Amino acid sequence: MDWLAAVFPLAQSGFGNLAAYLAAHVLLCLLPAFFIAGAMTALIPKQAITRFLGRNTHKRVSYPAAAAAGSVLAVCSCTIVPIFAGIYRKGAGIGPAITFLFFAPAANILALVYTGGIIGPDLAFARFFLSLSFGIGIGLLMAMIFRSEDEAHDRATDALFAAQDANGISRAALAFLGVWVVLLLAGTLKIGVLTDAHFDLIAPLSGVDSLQFRLDALVPHNAANGEEGVSVHGLALIALLATIGVAAWRGMERIHEGFNRWTWTALGLIAATLLVASLAVQAVPEGLRIGFTGRFFGVFAALGLLGAIGSRLSTDELRDWLWESWRFVKQIFPLLVVGVFLVGVIRVLIRPEWIQALAGENTVLANLAGVAFGVFMYFPTLVEVPIAKMFLDLGMHRGPLLAYLMADPELSLQSILIVSAIIGKLRTWTYVGWVAIFSTVAGLVYGAWVDGASLALVGAYLASFLGLLAIGLWWAERRNHVPAGAPAILEK
Amino acid sequence: MLTIKILGPGCANCRRVEEVARKAATDLGVDAEFVKVTDFNDILAYNVMTTPGLVINEKLVCSGRVPAPNSVAGWINEARAA
Repeated sequence: MDWLAAVFPLAQSGFGNLAAYLAAHVLLCLLPAFFIAGAMTALIPKQAITRFLGRNTHKRVSYPAAAAAGSVLAVCSCTIVPIFAGIYRKGAGIGPAITFLFFAPAANILALVYTGGIIGPDLAFARFFLSLSFGIGIGLLMAMIFRSEDEAHDRATDALFAAQDANGISRAALAFLGVWVVLLLAGTLKIGVLTDAHFDLIAPLSGVDSLQFRLDALVPHNAANGEEGVSVHGLALIALLATIGVAAWRGMERIHEGFNRWTWTALGLIAATLLVASLAVQAVPEGLRIGFTGRFFGVFAALGLLGAIGSRLSTDELRDWLWESWRFVKQIFPLLVVGVFLVGVIRVLIRPEWIQALAGENTVLANLAGVAFGVFMYFPTLVEVPIAKMFLDLGMHRGPLLAYLMADPELSLQSILIVSAIIGKLRTWTYVGWVAIFSTVAGLVYGAWVDGASLALVGAYLASFLGLLAIGLWWAERRNHVPAGAPAILEK
Repeated sequence: MLTIKILGPGCANCRRVEEVARKAATDLGVDAEFVKVTDFNDILAYNVMTTPGLVINEKLVCSGRVPAPNSVAGWINEARAA
């Protein structure tokens, strides 16, 4: 029976972690995020962005456009690979292609929302801005290092990027997307107007307080190491989530054959769940105290608007939107569930002292450790976020944490294989090296800022890094005897 | 005899497009050969950057989304009339 005694706390921690995540984090953050990602994929005409990625587009347009494409269009490798190959082979060349490749996994809508919801908006913003500037930086570097080979592509045609049907996004679709973003913000922002309950109601249910007592005994909760526990409210939400799962499976899986009753049931349940999740519920001796928060009214208004705008979208648009959203859920959610469970298990095994000793402070070594872990461990899309949360709870500094978060999604075995199949081994390993360097610097700079370094000092760090880089490049340029006038990249 | 090509690396959407296209062909009673194109050089040759792509008799009819079965039926009829 010894092994049972050893395994039980692990399983308990795993399930506890999973239950806490499903109850607390998934609903108001991830559910709208899936629908937003689905809407972006289905409703934004891809040509609206990719036509800026043609061969003849100026750098000032093509690099930002590549980043925009990464953030808006690409959530899974299914979209990333063809666009990457297209930009590289027939379009703007290796620079923008690399920018796209770097930016897509770190700053697509799902990754950003999830990072913001679980770890904090500060890290989500840092991830966004540093990925953007470094993505463009690495793109420019790669374009420069491999310029001669890139020029061979220049005779290729630009037909792929000629605006085939350059229709923009329809106004109804844009409004639809906008209201989803409002719903996401109303559901996740932590400001008083939204979180305060404007009036209370007590539902006279007997026994909820003893149920809460038993839940507390069953699911460990300890704020010190990040274990959150589950409330009665959370339990109800997990049950709703399971029902949605069943209804969605029957309603969304065959959606190309038309909408059925299950489709509407699933949508109704999702609306109900979002509303329930936005209430403030507390078990008290008299029953269940239900607080109607500002969040609740915000979500309610947004859902009403979505219904009104949704009826103006065409059946094709609605179907594509639901299908893409469902596909993301099917692809990502199971991995997330397994990942979160395993994080709960591992959390029991890792001693906080190890993490604190290795990466508790913002040093070069700690940032390198974060990057090395990110490079050598491979986690499926979004699972890096709960793992990062675990490290944070165990005492990792936010700087090395950012270094890890930058390196992990960009450099996985999968992406390295894809890239080397398309651009070759030498270029791929050059790219990998740059990502490692840039991630370490990103962690150091952000960590210094978190530690209270003045903006000037942080700026000085960044400037000296970029200065060293520029000198290195200038030197490489000289050695290669590139004809004058060519290094347009260094002008800015 | 039609040749229907599915362009894409084999992701969920590519499989779904194939299902939809096969169903449309069967419902119309059309004899069709299905070809999966997974190599990116070949896919790019059709000027497609957003998979899945659907090609009927070497003409690209749809890319970047999963079409409805009746739209596929329409394209098949067009290809037969041509």
